[in-house]
Amino acid sequence: MRFLAHRLAALVAVLLAVTALAFGALNILGDPLFNVVGFIASVDCDAVLAGEIEDISGQTAGGRGDCEIVEAARKEHRLDRALPVRYTYWLGDIVRGDFGTSFKNEMPVRQVIAEKLPKTVLLMVVAEVMGVVISIPWAVAAAYRANRRFDRASTVTSFGMLAIPNFAMGIILFYFFVVRWQVFPSRFEDTDLFARLKSMVLPGLTLGLPLAATYQRLLRTDLITTLQEDFVQMARAKGMSDRWIMFRHVLRPSLFSLVTVFGLSTAGLIGGSLVVENIFSIPGLGRAVVEAVIRDDFPIVLGSVVVIATGFVVINFTVDVVYSFIDPRVRRDG
Amino acid sequence: MADRLDLGESAGGNDPLHVPVVEGYPMAALDTTLGRRLGAGFWVSVGWLVVIVTVAALAPWLPIADPNETGYGGRMDRPGWATWFGTDTNGRDMFSRTIWGARVSLTVGFVAIAAGLAIGGTLGLIAGYFRGTADRVISFAFFALLSFPGLVFALLIIAALGSSLKVVCMTLGVLSIAPVGRLARAATLVFAEREFVQASRVLGATHTRIMLRELLPNVLIPMSALALLGMAVTIVAEGALAYLGLSVSDGFSWGKMILLGSAPRTLRDGPWVVMFPIGAMFLTVLALNYAGDRLRQYLDVRELAF
Repeated sequence: MRFLAHRLAALVAVLLAVTALAFGALNILGDPLFNVVGFIASVDCDAVLAGEIEDISGQTAGGRGDCEIVEAARKEHRLDRALPVRYTYWLGDIVRGDFGTSFKNEMPVRQVIAEKLPKTVLLMVVAEVMGVVISIPWAVAAAYRANRRFDRASTVTSFGMLAIPNFAMGIILFYFFVVRWQVFPSRFEDTDLFARLKSMVLPGLTLGLPLAATYQRLLRTDLITTLQEDFVQMARAKGMSDRWIMFRHVLRPSLFSLVTVFGLSTAGLIGGSLVVENIFSIPGLGRAVVEAVIRDDFPIVLGSVVVIATGFVVINFTVDVVYSFIDPRVRRDG
Repeated sequence: MADRLDLGESAGGNDPLHVPVVEGYPMAALDTTLGRRLGAGFWVSVGWLVVIVTVAALAPWLPIADPNETGYGGRMDRPGWATWFGTDTNGRDMFSRTIWGARVSLTVGFVAIAAGLAIGGTLGLIAGYFRGTADRVISFAFFALLSFPGLVFALLIIAALGSSLKVVCMTLGVLSIAPVGRLARAATLVFAEREFVQASRVLGATHTRIMLRELLPNVLIPMSALALLGMAVTIVAEGALAYLGLSVSDGFSWGKMILLGSAPRTLRDGPWVVMFPIGAMFLTVLALNYAGDRLRQYLDVRELAF
């Protein structure tokens, strides 16, 4: 329990650090006032209101009217307060579920996220399922005849697969399956579950193949270790078939590292899904955030980033805790 | 237990910048059959890297087309004798563009990882040598940085600062601080206990001298392998950003060429426009990964478990 409390404290600290980093990056590096009101933010309002600069309202930017807008925006977004104070208010809003509204179409950011997030999650689930489904038979086949031709070929293949950037992998798949052979739709089709899953095959494969390569390398090593055990000899002596031995006796005790890395790579998928959504036009969170960056829609950027980063931290935390229950040795070191 | 850190396996994987935070699992499936030799593959990889760096560095003086000259060939010429890698929709020579694209990709990779080594290495050395409060603060900073999905962090910075070459290098440099720093810290922890460090201290050496003269050379050895792997990660990350249209607005890299060539119509009429930059990037990342992996095994830094 002390371990859990310790971890929880670390979780809270990291969440605070991550949100502060996100908020700080946009507010210190960027100009929040400019993001709200646009170019009239540069008007020297103190001078205008004090009458030092002639009021040129109605002609160009820089009049009293603009200054009123700027002042109102300053008040509304609490830009007249110190940064830590604003961070506290902002964090309070976030915790209550208020992410602000989009600059461009006035939609609540919360609604945008609620609409986009499920697609990103679906993509990640499809990718993980594909990774596991491909890697297990692949690893078993490779370990069954370790260091023979198939094993060597698959080591080379998986090493190569890990050197293909995911966006390149996505484009290669897109080229063959969408442009050349037209097996899959070029955009996300949201008509029914079947269409949704069909649209997810290529994006899932793009993310799933490198996962499968990682899992295969890992599982193969563990399978080879397990194959050295005496009970395998025993099973063989009893005359069980090789297939039965591999899948029923050897596979289960070898899954340990795979389970761990499975959790960790789920967190890693977040960055990948961001890219892949843009290749296959999936209207998920990753696409939304990239579009928002390009259109300078800061509330969407900040909201999505906070959701993504929180998801990332929470997944890592969960894996960490689950892992410590499977393997109590970790608790001492942690 | 030393911090576990994995960069090699993840290069080109899903989140190129994601480094797992949890300690205590054997991710690297080390191939032990090769033993303590660098092997031919290592030298082939290094050879490719030397070629690509040389060609990229000498690009302005090579007898190749101007990469921005539209109408150098016809529109969408197939690869052939006149234009080795074909031309793009504007008739620009893809061979020349692939070489010029390497300049940006490699520069970003090199500058970012150099910054990571300088800053992360220094912080890691300080954390590992002084321990105590300094260690706790620095380690938490590393942990917080690693808790942010890398690509998302980069998006955030670019959203705020725009996407010039300087910003992209800086962002990816900041992202490489934590992984490098953790390894430097782990290595320092190991070496700081050794006799030669104690001897130096007994002889009255200052902290600075011990860190620079005794620890740094030893810590640099495992970091050289990490630098190669990290450069691969950074090149992929820059590519991903460029593909999203968020990198180096003042020039073009392989990633941006891939973006330009990946419109469905361009892809249908001229797949070579994306395939050559993809190929160049693939070979470079593969070479960096392989050379880094071999170097890591050769140096046998498994006691540091990265």
